[in-house]
Amino acid sequence: MITIAVSSQKGGVGKTTLAINLAHAFARAGVRTLLVDADPQGSVGLSLTRQSRLLAGFYDFLTDPGLPMDRLIVPTRLETFSLVASGQTSDYEVGGGMGAHLARVRAFLRGVAARGFDLCLIDTAAGLFSVSGDVITSSDAIMIPQQAEPLGIRSVPKLLEGLNRLRIMNPRLSVLGVCLTMVQNDLAESIESAAALRELLPPDMVFRTQIPRDSLFVRASARGLPVGVLEDGEGAQAVFDSLRVEVESKLESSNGQPAVQS
Amino acid sequence: MNPLNSWLDADEVRRLANRLMKPVRNPAMTLSDIGFDEQFIGFAESSPARPNIPADPNTGEPELPTPVAKSPTPPPLPQPPPPVPSAGSLMDAARGPFLNRIQRFRDWMRQNFSATGVFLLDREGSVIFDESDHGRLHFLARSLAHASSRENAPTRNVHVKIGAGATLEVIPVETAYGRIILGAVVPQPLGTQAITAIDDALKQVATPPKRTASPAS
Repeated sequence: MITIAVSSQKGGVGKTTLAINLAHAFARAGVRTLLVDADPQGSVGLSLTRQSRLLAGFYDFLTDPGLPMDRLIVPTRLETFSLVASGQTSDYEVGGGMGAHLARVRAFLRGVAARGFDLCLIDTAAGLFSVSGDVITSSDAIMIPQQAEPLGIRSVPKLLEGLNRLRIMNPRLSVLGVCLTMVQNDLAESIESAAALRELLPPDMVFRTQIPRDSLFVRASARGLPVGVLEDGEGAQAVFDSLRVEVESKLESSNGQPAVQS
Repeated sequence: MNPLNSWLDADEVRRLANRLMKPVRNPAMTLSDIGFDEQFIGFAESSPARPNIPADPNTGEPELPTPVAKSPTPPPLPQPPPPVPSAGSLMDAARGPFLNRIQRFRDWMRQNFSATGVFLLDREGSVIFDESDHGRLHFLARSLAHASSRENAPTRNVHVKIGAGATLEVIPVETAYGRIILGAVVPQPLGTQAITAIDDALKQVATPPKRTASPAS
């Protein structure tokens, strides 16, 4: 099983949108995929399951060693796609700094692997510390959504410093790269920011696929669906299919082996 | 106009980014940045005192630290330690304020186990006692203690080799004040008997003195 953390330094960069739709793209391709909401705001759960406020989830697992993993996994209509909500326990209740929940996070991932999933995609809370840090130091790979606007991109140095620090603790962590999100092709500042980031970072570090700002995502979220399920969502789905192919290619090149297999 | 140039040190960003794209063979940051000194050579071997319990994905049993690369020629370990003292000698001394008792415990550790640094943390990682100048090891000690702890299971020590002839021994001890994490820098990993003796000693040190009835006036 491959574990990918979807993490960012800043909040509000489209991380959950990316995680939901990329996970759905993998599941549609036949990859047994578990999408885990490790963001205490519970955005994945709130987006995809109406009962998310009642579901036990990831943060409950961290605090309750007696909670069976099977109670956490929520199947969807797509056989290869399952979810774990963030749960009823917030990160404030979980407490502790980074490292405090490392053992439980790794126990969680062992449990997921034991249930036959090929891919575990984890939507973490913003920031590279606390439980998010524990998730990243337990993952195989990380991808970083980055909003295509000047202010967000100025946080990139801090992000890179943080990731370098985390790789000391998890040397096998493969940095898949930065994925530009909320790109507005009708806004010069957005286009310039995207171009500047591509110029700044090594080409391999920025995904070629970029996620546009699109009202479809809002509509999909309102209906509790991945965007590809919408009647007019084919175009958006194609974007995430393209991103999936890029992720697979990066995983292959970092491992020297086929990535997630259906 | 490039919206970033005036805000970022482009060379520094490229350097950080390039480092991320390379496999980690040698730590990109200095070892001291993460709490080890330059002599760090990897995790010490597991103590025979620790049972080897397989991971249970259902119960989420914490995993033990994974050994990491060691230097090709680790320095020879010192000879086996002398017989383990009992905690009795420590407790024979008159009881007093908590800090005094802890300081006697630290002296006992120095005397019997050649501990060069002793610190105590609570379960949240806050420092209860530290005169060791090993503040950088606190995070590591707490992480290891959490990683090794299991509910309703006996105390399990964990140790990490932090330098040539220096091992950080981490012993979570359940006391009247809750779980206390003991970190001690010792020359070599401690054996079962030593761990038991230290566990007993710290339990006693951390037990509040019994109140004696005041004499009738």
